[in-house]
Amino acid sequence: MNSNFIIEAQNLKKIYGQGEAKTFALNGVSFKVKQGEFLSIMGPSGCGKSTLMHIIGFLDYPTSGTYKFEGKSPNELTDSEISEIRNKKIGFIFQFFNLLPRTTVLENVKLPLVYTKLSNKEKQKRALQALEAVGMSHRLKFYPNQLSGGEQQRVAIARAIVNQPKVILADEPTGNLDSKSGQKVMEILQKLNEQGQTIILVTHEKYTSEMAERIIYLKDGRIIGEERVHQRKFAKDGLVK
Amino acid sequence: MEFIDFLKTSFNTLMANKTRSFLTTLGIVIGISSVIVMVSIGSGAQKLIVNRISAMGSNTIFIEPGAFDPKKSSMTQTAIEEAEVKTLKYSDALAISKLPGVEMVAPWVMGVETVVYQDKNKRVTFIGTTPENQKIDGTSPILGRGLEDGDVKSMDRVVLLGYKVSKDLFGDENPIGKTLRIKNINFKVIGVLEEKGGGAFMNPDDYIYLPLTTAQKLLLGIDYVRVIVVKAESEQVIDSLVQEMREILRQRHHIFNPENDLTKDDFKITTQVEATEMLSSVLSVLTLFLSSVAAIALVVGGIGIMNIMFVSVTERTKEIGLRKAVGARKKDILIQFLVEAVVLTFLGGIGGIILGAGVSFLAGLILGHLLNQPWVFVLSVKAIIIAVSISVGTGLVFGIYPAYKAANLSPIQALRYE
Repeated sequence: MNSNFIIEAQNLKKIYGQGEAKTFALNGVSFKVKQGEFLSIMGPSGCGKSTLMHIIGFLDYPTSGTYKFEGKSPNELTDSEISEIRNKKIGFIFQFFNLLPRTTVLENVKLPLVYTKLSNKEKQKRALQALEAVGMSHRLKFYPNQLSGGEQQRVAIARAIVNQPKVILADEPTGNLDSKSGQKVMEILQKLNEQGQTIILVTHEKYTSEMAERIIYLKDGRIIGEERVHQRKFAKDGLVK
Repeated sequence: MEFIDFLKTSFNTLMANKTRSFLTTLGIVIGISSVIVMVSIGSGAQKLIVNRISAMGSNTIFIEPGAFDPKKSSMTQTAIEEAEVKTLKYSDALAISKLPGVEMVAPWVMGVETVVYQDKNKRVTFIGTTPENQKIDGTSPILGRGLEDGDVKSMDRVVLLGYKVSKDLFGDENPIGKTLRIKNINFKVIGVLEEKGGGAFMNPDDYIYLPLTTAQKLLLGIDYVRVIVVKAESEQVIDSLVQEMREILRQRHHIFNPENDLTKDDFKITTQVEATEMLSSVLSVLTLFLSSVAAIALVVGGIGIMNIMFVSVTERTKEIGLRKAVGARKKDILIQFLVEAVVLTFLGGIGGIILGAGVSFLAGLILGHLLNQPWVFVLSVKAIIIAVSISVGTGLVFGIYPAYKAANLSPIQALRYE
């Protein structure tokens, strides 16, 4: 295994339906992601971004092709091994936050830790650290509906990083936010990346995609282009939208 | 995920839907409390009757006419169906009384008649017997005297009243020496028995007692007896005594039965222990039957739990998806929903025990008052353990399918669910 690449995808296909109704959500996608990289997957809606993201995050399986995460392929793993990877190696950030209602900020961040064997003290420590990193330490006892969208997304980021995952998968993390909150969210993601965090970002906004180091363009289930970002945007420099 | 986390999550979810949780639990509360009440009242009744029977002494033996029939074992049945078996005589009783190990013998005849005093009348059970009966029964007169040997010998027209009969006919008047009419025959009241209090089936306060011979000849027109009550000197001699009584009765009734085949005899002998066991077992069956009916309420409650768990799974599809995305295993989701169902039913079980105990206690007070008997409030640990296990079991049985459904949701389907 080449330790440089944390993710290796070879000719991934995802097919829904059969016969006439057969549709290719992914039609032969191959790419690799290095440890510590910030990658954007860019494309219009319906291009297969979300399907790809689910496969990367072990929430779904490819119909054919090989997908390897740290050399491990989902079809070789048992349900609980897959759960363990989702728990320890991958942090999800969703467009609609997906925080648990009626559950405090702190408890929401602790959610992935509930499925680990860490001590309560360690769980508390990690959750506080994660909230500190996204600047939400002052809202521990708040409930999601008492927070703004941007604040909710920052809590969701804290939840994604609380288990110190190998990769953060962010699915349109700014898609449901005003530009200022979105900028703050991107600033946090870039900061995490600077500290060595591998991040894969799915977006349909060109501006957001240029905050990554590399962009993969996806259309109709195929990669139609790939480029290294020459003039990388930095969220902390302010709005240039 | 640790068990305490599962519990915490369940409590949070249940508290978030207080009314719903309460109403769902109510089904279980009603089911469990009905079972507890049925078992408690059943055991209370059993205790009451067993106590009454054993108050007569555990070394009492009953001899009844009619052959032993393994299909019919009930004393009362014999009394009704085979009342016309005429084989048992007063002389049999006298013969038995001479056997070693016999302390006392009291033959009985009985019937129901109307007793008239001035303008009042009352239908009562009368028992024709000998003076020994009161010693076996353990009752003594509070007014006047009891039956005496002379009364029986000379077929005197005298009567001894149960406490309640005296109250009903005479009120506060002293009945001693007054004259009653039964079947147009005058009887002189010689005594009133102390108040005994009685069960639902037989209440000695409602009986009147006459000399055996008087009841046989004047009221019934018969020369045989219905039951011979024998009191043995001790429990140890009962077995051998029963056998001796069989032999002497066979001899007297000219029955050749060396094989000791009980179906060939024209009498049957029941000991106090057997009678108690028999009544207890009848009551146990009754209790079991009533409890089973009550258990149906529990099943209905369980279906309510299942229904609400399905609602809960559907409502929280998105949460399930998220939990799976952050690393929950199938097992974690399964256990979470099972714990939730079990917490609901467990709380229902506890509520049911409290409600059931309260209702049983009140019912005991009321029944005790109605029957004029100290009612023993029974709340067996066994019933409680069974109730709790049944309620937890209900949670498991009715929670497993919704929980299984939740555990097998695909995470992306669940996350997309709106």
